[in-house]
Amino acid sequence: MKQALDDMDKKANSPADLRVGVYVCHCGKNIGSTVDCEAVAQFASTLPHVTLAKDSLYTCSEPGQEQIKTDIREQKLNRVVVASCTPRLHEPTFRAACESAGLNPYLLEMANIREHCSWVHLHEREAATSKAKDLVAMAVARAVRLEPQFELSVPVKRSSLVIGGGVAGIQAALDMADAGYQVYLVEKSGSIGGRMAQIDKTFPTMDCSICILAPKMSEVGRHPNIQMLTLSEIKEVTGHIGNFKVKILKKARYVTDGCTACGDCIQACPQLAPDEFNAGLSIRRAIYIPFAQAVPSRYLVDMGLCLNNQGIVACDRCFQACTRKCIDFADQDKIVEIEVGTIVVATGVDVYDPTALTELGYGRFPNVITTLEFERLINAGGPSSGELIRPSDRKRPKNIAFLQCIGSRSKRSNPYCSNVCCMNTIKDALLIKEHWPETEVFVFYIDIRAFGKGFEDLFQRARREGVTFIRGIPGEIIEDISNGNLTLLGENTLLGTQYRYTMEMVILSVGIKPRSDAPIVQRLLNLSTDTDGFYMEAHPKLRPVDTTTGGVFLAGAAEGPKDIKDSVTQASAAASRANILMSKGEVKIPAVTARINTDKCVACGLCAKVCPYHAIEGSKELGYYRVVEAMCQGCGACVPECKFGALDQAHFSDAQIVSQIHEALANEPERKIIAFACNWCSYAGADFAGVSRIQYPDNVRIIRTMCSARVAPEWIELAFSMGAGAVLVSGCHPSDCHYNNANQNTARRVEKFWKRLDKLGLNKDRLRLAWVSAAEGAQFAKVIKEMEQGLRELTPDQVLETKQKLAKRVPRKGEPV
Amino acid sequence: MTVKLWNFFPREALYECYQCARCTGSCPALEVAEALGPRETILKCLNLGHDEVVEDERLWVCCTCNVCEDRCPQKIPISDLLVALRNSAARRGNIPDKLQIAIELLAKTGRSMIVHQLDEMRAHHGLAPLMPVPIDEVREVLKKTKLDDVIEF
Ligand SMILES: Cc1cc2nc3c(=O)[nH]c(=O)nc-3n(C[C@H](O)[C@H](O)[C@H](O)COP(=O)(O)OP(=O)(O)OC[C@H]3O[C@@H](n4cnc5c(N)ncnc54)[C@H](O)[C@@H]3O)c2cc1C
Ligand code: SF4
Ligand code: SF4
Ligand code: SF4
Ligand code: SF4
Repeated sequence: MKQALDDMDKKANSPADLRVGVYVCHCGKNIGSTVDCEAVAQFASTLPHVTLAKDSLYTCSEPGQEQIKTDIREQKLNRVVVASCTPRLHEPTFRAACESAGLNPYLLEMANIREHCSWVHLHEREAATSKAKDLVAMAVARAVRLEPQFELSVPVKRSSLVIGGGVAGIQAALDMADAGYQVYLVEKSGSIGGRMAQIDKTFPTMDCSICILAPKMSEVGRHPNIQMLTLSEIKEVTGHIGNFKVKILKKARYVTDGCTACGDCIQACPQLAPDEFNAGLSIRRAIYIPFAQAVPSRYLVDMGLCLNNQGIVACDRCFQACTRKCIDFADQDKIVEIEVGTIVVATGVDVYDPTALTELGYGRFPNVITTLEFERLINAGGPSSGELIRPSDRKRPKNIAFLQCIGSRSKRSNPYCSNVCCMNTIKDALLIKEHWPETEVFVFYIDIRAFGKGFEDLFQRARREGVTFIRGIPGEIIEDISNGNLTLLGENTLLGTQYRYTMEMVILSVGIKPRSDAPIVQRLLNLSTDTDGFYMEAHPKLRPVDTTTGGVFLAGAAEGPKDIKDSVTQASAAASRANILMSKGEVKIPAVTARINTDKCVACGLCAKVCPYHAIEGSKELGYYRVVEAMCQGCGACVPECKFGALDQAHFSDAQIVSQIHEALANEPERKIIAFACNWCSYAGADFAGVSRIQYPDNVRIIRTMCSARVAPEWIELAFSMGAGAVLVSGCHPSDCHYNNANQNTARRVEKFWKRLDKLGLNKDRLRLAWVSAAEGAQFAKVIKEMEQGLRELTPDQVLETKQKLAKRVPRKGEPV
Repeated sequence: MTVKLWNFFPREALYECYQCARCTGSCPALEVAEALGPRETILKCLNLGHDEVVEDERLWVCCTCNVCEDRCPQKIPISDLLVALRNSAARRGNIPDKLQIAIELLAKTGRSMIVHQLDEMRAHHGLAPLMPVPIDEVREVLKKTKLDDVIEF
């Protein structure tokens, strides 16, 4: 390993040529108030090859960047190290600065002294400063070994896939189609429209929901650039940004294009089921149309319910009833294959089911319903044709209670605020007051969140119209079985008194939650989810519609609870991001691919076996293997597999990482924890700990790789033989790996290392494997705290024993002794 | 003789309460008497400090049925809090007279209440007379629980 380092060093510029500039950023007070930045810069100037080291208030500012550019030109810098925030934020900024001054952008290195240092050791100035020095030394050592890289350009297909046909998917599809690109809109159900089609009116403007949505739906139906696939689901996605190959399962509809939606067939059908669109409040047949304004405006047969579900035609009543003869029982599921350059995910949300809250009686007391059911109830196209009636006796209730935050803001259900239910209730309350003013309306709430434009107005209007707002959610609802009325028991917290209200109907303002099938799309596209289960954006503020998978964007409530306006805004943003890629027609892919040294390669083919993208081709017969650069995603999983040192990864080379390990362990190695963290999850998780200011011990040194599968057992061995106290290997949770489960190799290799430690009689707890997602800052901190606890019990003898025993190992074939 | 209240209840849990009042709304004690509802108890601990709360006699009306805790959306261990508060109150001598009498009675007779003509009533229902209480043993148990630290008997 040391040999590799020396080899590499020899090959690279001779030391005299190396001129490193180090810039230590105060980030205002974010770093400066914890880390002594001047001292760090001073220290940096003493490091080998460092030509100059400066500290500045905001390195990312225009003057900060200008300084770097000037120094590159005037001081002939050929490596730049910026010690500041996480590279996940500003690496592109500083790379661009380097490039504009004529320096290859891959000759920039960053030391993360904010998220991984000042923010997590807020009150330990000395420790934080000394850690920052270590991080800078590691960065300089790596910078010296960086090499210029050149990014490969891949073409971007000028077509897009939109998954989900709710209002967000519709908007995104229209925006991209209008820009001239081919769009495939895939919708799981029989019609596009999503939740918005189910809602009666929309807050805050009280527009008729379907009236404003229907024109958009028809526009999708007739747009020459949009191909709509309903009753369809994504089954497989391969390829990468610019060129995704997608397999779509298009389920049989059993009704052909000829259907004019006359509806002659329905009366003929003997099979009944609850109507999903009306939230189960009415009945539909086996042959049905999801709702009157459905697009496509075509009937479909629910084959699960149809009498012909055994594959033989046992009933043909609808077929006989249809004068145009558009019913085709021989219709079959199809697989449709498409190729697209970009993907927009707009799969929306589910609604919380309050059955679990038994004290509220939903499901047992007929007059306790949800807001979604209420939307259908008062809709003109709904089960009661828009009449306000209650389920038990179909009479109009004289008084109605709304209960807020049902299934939201709770450790028993979903911990987050669902964002739309306060305003939705206010809207519903106003609707009742508008049409049936004599009805008494009570809203039981904890907080009313009326934060958006026009929201507070609507809230005040509801109060003026006589809606009573009572602070305090009922603890219990009791039903009077003789008349179906409901007694609410609770406390008015503002008056500090107990209440008992008897209501004729209760409406539970249920929250929204990630769809139960959300993990399927998540896996197909390698998306991350936040702790609540919503799809996660690449950066919460600056890249709110991008995902960490290149070319895949998010729109609508699938990314987090939001109302229609925000869903539409986000959809247009996602479309615009995709349009940028498609209008350019090409995209540069990061030059972090694997490279094979043909001189050392013995064509054993081990690397090709682990590549999750089949990017390594060759054979024993051909006598070589090679990496297809356009297909290689840069996980690095193949590199540790090569037993002959023939493989390496650009920008994450063995020599670069080994040099980081050397620096990290230069002083007091037994106190240190070397933490390998993958770029997408664990490194981001550590960043998130910083953003959340979760404090943890200062003795961890994080080394970034793209995927945890890049971590070579030789690095772990090196760390321990240098006396490291502990080593952490961390990556995405097994099913969330950003490289097609490449991290199963991580687990395999770590397990093998544990076995080896075990055999040598060494404490294997010093090597830890942890799955930490980008949202699990607290988990990262917890792991580090636990490891630090372990270090306290470590004796110098144990460290020494590990060093000696690991040093005695037999060198592998092909490895210089 | 005070106890460290926050050794018996995780204080941070208090901050999770957003005063929804589902607890107080479910409280059966409040249906029959003026109790200090759990929601108010938590708010007072947060805003006025528990020293104030342990002075309040209404603290003792709760029957530790656990319904509040069952329904709390934030999974706050409310009963633990109420028990801890009452322990603290007791150590400070804040025990309602009625309760004090009941405990004294227990220590003296082995029963928490005196029912006149009990044995006659039992005989009427065909039940055997109650066995005599091993009073020394009961006192021993009470002492082991350190009840004699807070109530003299
Ligand atoms: C009761 C209620 C009342 C509301 N009232 C209002 C209001 O008055 N005003 C307001 O602004 N907002 C309101 N909202 C919020 C509003 O419904 C959402 O903002 C909006 O529906 C989000 O749109 P979307 O396209 O992101 O998701 P959705 O409307 O949920 O649409 C998602 C679509 O994707 C499809 N889909 C899902 N998974 C897949 C898959 N794997 N493959 C293919 N297709 C898939 C679904 O079938 C669906 O058609 C309300 C919400 C509820 C629950
Ligand atoms: S064939 Fe199926 S859909 Fe048609 S009428 Fe019979 S049950 Fe209904
Ligand atoms: S929007 Fe209102 S009702 Fe919905 S969860 Fe948030 S606070 Fe509760
Ligand atoms: S395993 Fe990873 S790094 Fe190696 S060739 Fe395949 S995609 Fe590229
Ligand atoms: S139920 Fe829980 S969150 Fe609500 S007021 Fe009571 S203690 Fe607080």
